[in-house]
Amino acid sequence: MKKLLYIALNELHLLLKDRMAVIWMVVLPLGVTTIMGLVFGGFGRESEAVVIDLPVVDQDGGEMAAVVLDILSQTESLHVETEYDEETARQLVSDGKRAGVVIIPQGFSDAITSGRPTALELIVAPGGQTAPLLEGMVRGVASTFSSVQTTVEVVISEVQRATGSYDLDYEGIARRVVAIALERLEDPPVRARITTVGSAEEEFNIFDQMVPGYAVMFAMFTVLSAAGGILEEKERGTFKRLLIAPIPRWSLLGGKLMAQFLTGVGQIALMFLFGALVFHVNLGSSPLGLLLVTLATCWATTSLGILLVAVIRSRKQIHPITTLIILGSSAIGGSWYPLFMMPKAVQQVARVTLVAWAMEGYNRLMILGGSLADVWVDIGVLALYGAICFGVGLRLFRFKET
Amino acid sequence: MMSVITVDGLRKHYGDVKAVDGISFEIHEGEIFGLLGPNGAGKTTTINVLCTYTEPTAGEIVVAGHSVTAEPEAVKRAIGVVPQDIALYPDLNAVENLRFFGRMYDIPRARLEQRIADLLQLVGLTEHARKRVEHYSGGMKRRLNLAVGLLSEPRFLMLDEPTVGVDPQSRHAIFENIQALNRQGLTILYTTHYMEEAELLCHRVAIMDEGRIIALDTPQNLISTLGTGLIHVGVKDELDDEMLARLQALPQVKNVVHRDNTLAFETVDAQRALLEIIGLFNETDTAMTSLEILEPNLESVFIQLTGKQLRD
Repeated sequence: MKKLLYIALNELHLLLKDRMAVIWMVVLPLGVTTIMGLVFGGFGRESEAVVIDLPVVDQDGGEMAAVVLDILSQTESLHVETEYDEETARQLVSDGKRAGVVIIPQGFSDAITSGRPTALELIVAPGGQTAPLLEGMVRGVASTFSSVQTTVEVVISEVQRATGSYDLDYEGIARRVVAIALERLEDPPVRARITTVGSAEEEFNIFDQMVPGYAVMFAMFTVLSAAGGILEEKERGTFKRLLIAPIPRWSLLGGKLMAQFLTGVGQIALMFLFGALVFHVNLGSSPLGLLLVTLATCWATTSLGILLVAVIRSRKQIHPITTLIILGSSAIGGSWYPLFMMPKAVQQVARVTLVAWAMEGYNRLMILGGSLADVWVDIGVLALYGAICFGVGLRLFRFKET
Repeated sequence: MMSVITVDGLRKHYGDVKAVDGISFEIHEGEIFGLLGPNGAGKTTTINVLCTYTEPTAGEIVVAGHSVTAEPEAVKRAIGVVPQDIALYPDLNAVENLRFFGRMYDIPRARLEQRIADLLQLVGLTEHARKRVEHYSGGMKRRLNLAVGLLSEPRFLMLDEPTVGVDPQSRHAIFENIQALNRQGLTILYTTHYMEEAELLCHRVAIMDEGRIIALDTPQNLISTLGTGLIHVGVKDELDDEMLARLQALPQVKNVVHRDNTLAFETVDAQRALLEIIGLFNETDTAMTSLEILEPNLESVFIQLTGKQLRD
């Protein structure tokens, strides 16, 4: 046991002597997490809402077109621009300078007030992330006017049935209905009440996702890179020197794995500490759950490392392979986006990665407000994942030439 | 004389490749035993088996009274190994390297610190003890490599090509260290492909080629088989048996080996033999294409035995 500890201490000593490794382990993860968090979510809870510049071309100029402009202008996430003609606005979208443009066609107001069909036109850039958002907003406005037309038809039909009179002012009724609808927009009788699961009083902080996501990804880089260090030692000859010393094999490998495991745990802990202090990351209400998910994640990663070292056996091959595994599993496993936002098929495939189980555990604890009882399955799967990789890796690992 | 190592019928095969093909030898207590041979002869594989790193395919190997296959832990405690690679941590300094490897041998702390100081003194690195190994010259690394092999105060030391890539000064220092350690009673196995090293250091030498021992004796005895020199004569055409018999019968010729288009003569006296050989070639009007007199040394012995250069 003493030799195992000496070997582990030596590994940590070597790690601290390697300045590039320390930068890779500490500065890079914190820097990347900070930059990505700021890019995608603003700074902490005081983040400003994203505002989309939206050109609106009013070819109608009528009363109902003004109502459309009014509704869109009142939308918090939009900045309506009316200064462009259709050609310029379309060019802005083509050039990627605007996400989309709304065109209110000529005769729009007449169509609304006379009950004829019409359309609001939305032109969006292909593949834009904000396109669905704009689509939803324009559909909402169009839906409001459809309701107006429906209401007017119902009113006229009822009045005709009650009075027998067919000489009714359709346009006047429509205007009245629109005016009422606009008033109601400010204080709608039917509201949507949205509740966040877990921490209902708190806003979602992008760093609650980013910090564990990038912590797991960079811990995998560190641990698997250290595992590759065993191959480096084999090539250098120090591993052979240790093998011909009177050291039990389990001490030799155990010491190296212990150092890798502790490095991974330390790195994740540092990321969480930084996230909590600087970005007010919500660490959830179960410190024990957080600790166990972290330990299980690092155990699974360390074991994956020994399996890869046992199978690959060449330092030149291991780095591209581990990079591929880490980036691939991070992308589909939820390190970059919450797993529950992924398509169903991706979620299913992601289950083969340890990242998916780790991130599910962290998301449950840190975003959904779960307790230890909610992450037992994740911890168990990670522990089993580690045990299988460790067992197979140990069996395939070549201590000596045969 | 008591044997520290007994190797009997050692074979090590990797598939169809016979890295070591049935070698046997003994190393006596207190001697420096050399394994001499070109790269790929099987020297490192032999050391790897002796130090328990490689499992033999067949053979009985006993080191310091312990079987390498049945009692590897006991063998590990009895031996010191200086591998061909610079098996050190480049990011650590000399003391840190020695301290780490020393701990692997359960050397008590105070004893280890004393041992580290003594070994640094021995290999002349005391002044560079706190410098990172990555900043050492090739020779300094080799000397530290030697020091690590001596940490456990072994009964038997194996050195695998310990002077590869070192400057003459460090090579000389390593030789002096080895001779001093041997004078203190340390038994040493030394592999090299430098014949002058084997001649200088080794009490006995086994010459290896293609996994086999092709000669084993003291350097003096091996060299004496060549007399005062070896003469190589190139011939254009195949010589007939009668001509070969006449050459063999020359008074100053001990033996003739005909290999391809070369005749290799072991001689009693090289200079006189040369005159006799040229005389016979002239008398029979036989054409020579080349003529070479080789100094009597281990390299010539190897050439005579295998027809190949030692440093091929």
